[in-house]
Amino acid sequence: MPRKAAKYHSLKKIRVRQDWSRWSLFHLANLRPPNVATRTYFQQKWTAKSETRAYHGEHIREKKWRRQFRRDLPAVVPMDHKYLARHDGSEQAAGRGAGADTQDKPRVPAMTPYMQMTYWPLERRLDTAIFRALFASSARQARQFVVHGLVKVNGKQMLYPGYNLNPGDMFQVEPSSVMFATGAPKTRSAVARRIAAEKRAASSEAYEKAKADKPSSTPPEPMPSRPEPTPAELKKHMQSIMESVKEVLESGVGAKDKQKLRDFRNTIRKAISLWRTASPESVSTLDTQYAFLQSRLSTPSTDASAPQTPGPPPTSLTDDETGQLKAAFDRLKAESDYDSTWNKRDASKPYMTPWRPRDYMNAFAFIPRYLEVNQNICAAVYLRHPVARPGLSEVPTPFPIETGQLAFNWYLRRR
Amino acid sequence: MPPRLSPTFSLSFGNTAWEKTAAASQRQFSQSSCRQATLRRRKFYDWLNGPGAQLKERIPGSTNYLGAYDRFGNLVRASPGWQRPKPGEEKSVSKESAPKVAKESEPADTDKGSEGDGTPAGQETADELEMAVRRNEQDKKAEMGDADQQLPPETAEDLRPFPLNKHFRSQPVLSEELREAIYQRVKRDGVTVSLASVEFGVSNERVGAVVRLKQMEKEWIAQGKTLALPYSKAVLDMIPTTPYIDPSRPENKGKRPIIHEPINDLPVHPATRQQLFVPVAESYQYTRTDAGKAFDNNLLPADVRIPHPELVQAERELAQGLSFEERRRLATERYAAEKAKKDREEKKKKAEEAALKRIPQRRWDFVFQDINTERVGKNERSEKGVGWRYGFPHEDRKKGQVKIPTEVDA
Repeated sequence: MPRKAAKYHSLKKIRVRQDWSRWSLFHLANLRPPNVATRTYFQQKWTAKSETRAYHGEHIREKKWRRQFRRDLPAVVPMDHKYLARHDGSEQAAGRGAGADTQDKPRVPAMTPYMQMTYWPLERRLDTAIFRALFASSARQARQFVVHGLVKVNGKQMLYPGYNLNPGDMFQVEPSSVMFATGAPKTRSAVARRIAAEKRAASSEAYEKAKADKPSSTPPEPMPSRPEPTPAELKKHMQSIMESVKEVLESGVGAKDKQKLRDFRNTIRKAISLWRTASPESVSTLDTQYAFLQSRLSTPSTDASAPQTPGPPPTSLTDDETGQLKAAFDRLKAESDYDSTWNKRDASKPYMTPWRPRDYMNAFAFIPRYLEVNQNICAAVYLRHPVARPGLSEVPTPFPIETGQLAFNWYLRRR
Repeated sequence: MPPRLSPTFSLSFGNTAWEKTAAASQRQFSQSSCRQATLRRRKFYDWLNGPGAQLKERIPGSTNYLGAYDRFGNLVRASPGWQRPKPGEEKSVSKESAPKVAKESEPADTDKGSEGDGTPAGQETADELEMAVRRNEQDKKAEMGDADQQLPPETAEDLRPFPLNKHFRSQPVLSEELREAIYQRVKRDGVTVSLASVEFGVSNERVGAVVRLKQMEKEWIAQGKTLALPYSKAVLDMIPTTPYIDPSRPENKGKRPIIHEPINDLPVHPATRQQLFVPVAESYQYTRTDAGKAFDNNLLPADVRIPHPELVQAERELAQGLSFEERRRLATERYAAEKAKKDREEKKKKAEEAALKRIPQRRWDFVFQDINTERVGKNERSEKGVGWRYGFPHEDRKKGQVKIPTEVDA
């Protein structure tokens, strides 16, 4: 990777960069179409190349980009299924011999801006995709996230910013880093910094002390690995669940009551792990957990080992209890929601709290159609390669189509 | 070369008016273009504090792109009496009551393409779809407050983050409600991806991605992880979104869902990029299939290559005048055949998997497969024969061998 230019945001040359800075915005506002009247073709191409390359993959060596350049550019045409069903295409070829006496108004399709698609291979890069998904405030920052191991592709850590995403790849970035990258920067006074340092020191000291005091921790008992729990166990577990349900329903939403919610969550997990047949993937969301518990508890395992406890099934739920269980699950969901939304002051965060988007972000905020982003978990899927369609191109580039064409021609020269 | 005098020398020397003007008119001794830089910087800050100041913070409930402003920093689409809402008033304008839609809005019409005003035969326009979205948002806003303080919906120009690039604009993304609805439809109702795609007007791949991401989000909630909700809210407020029209609500009766994107995109085949002149008898019925053959022998016609060929089939049956019962029967037959094919493929895949010998390890599994080393082919380098063969050096240290992975298994 070439070093960042010494005058990255020079005011002398107009250079739009892939970032959300005020300099980029200023240059965007002052960008002019290329001068095609008084300059030679070579000069025009050269300028177009250097301007576009300062934006597209400025952190990539020219040679590397040249090897990636492709002269065939992807495009699509949106089709209308009703038309396709009712016509077989022969009506377009029909001449006067077929009885076509009058000429219809000639149809002029919108131009497909192929020439804005020159840099589409760079949009495949992982770092660029992270920047386009609004997870980082510049392409270089996105690159740093990848190199620092904050990015996963399909659930596996990916350390190469030059990884070319394939259609269907999912990438996720650490949410705290995303909040840091897109949030307003922190302004910290010297006093605040000193207080934070003191607190950190005190807490680490306390932690060390506690660690020294505590005897060697015993490993947690392994779960009984029986294929199916006995009804007695089921009953016990249901009782424990219902107990914690009551606790949870009594508690409000506050810092102190979080412990109870966490315990409840653990109880549920334990109960679910008791059924060996239920694989953890299938009951991973709250809804499925609730549905699973309800189905298992209300229709107890009569087929497993019922002989000891005839009569009323011990683990069936009354309507009242079902309602309580549901309410407890809702509380669990609300708690998670509350935790996430509650945007409070927190000196330990590396960004300004309460969080707000950084200045000038809105002028650069757009998500191209080839990405599907879920902002809640800071993950996105690269759906397909960017394409051109009539009137629209999906590669975000700040330059007019003339510049795009000149740049394309520059790289075409050596093919 | 003239001697370099420090600029302070002449200034410190005399104090008379004559000397001052003479010093000012003299040439610059400094070699750096300091004045130029200062001028540029001043212009930069003038712009930032003038027209650029509008872009510093978002307008609550609206997009805020450079293309929406004129040279002097005036929001072009705003009415003259419009005042930029203060950050404190954000609550009143934000999208709290998003599903509330009052007026009847025309859904994006897909059969406009064949009527041909500007669009060639059989094509859809993306502009139509997006205008429908924006009109809808506008209706929602208009119901909420006085007209003077409301911004009209964005035109295509207002959505340009790069004013010079006429071929790029910020296109709407799915709103939270729409994502949830798609997830529920696929996961709870068990609808196929392609059907959900047609119902919501969202492309096949996007439906799959939404379900995958939403599933992960729900797992995070179950695990009690902290979501990036403040970020999510801010971002979705900054960019245009496609709202969800909930058909179960009484006020949405008789409305079709808003189409998010064209779902029948035909990829341009490289063979069709050239222009062909094919003489054909005028009496000959020259169809799309023939045209495809003319370009490339293996090129299928558009009605097969689009992502939703079943829509064409259904429409064709409708045009043939088949009864409803008949059409339903045909559709179920097709569905069954497709399902059987899918099942067969899955079975085959599973059988292949089962044939492998698998030894689980802590992080990765060892997988053994029967390989015949003799199948190296004529040049002895075919991939069918595996393993290092005597006399062939590894190529992974050669120049130009890229070691970045090319794929990651999901």
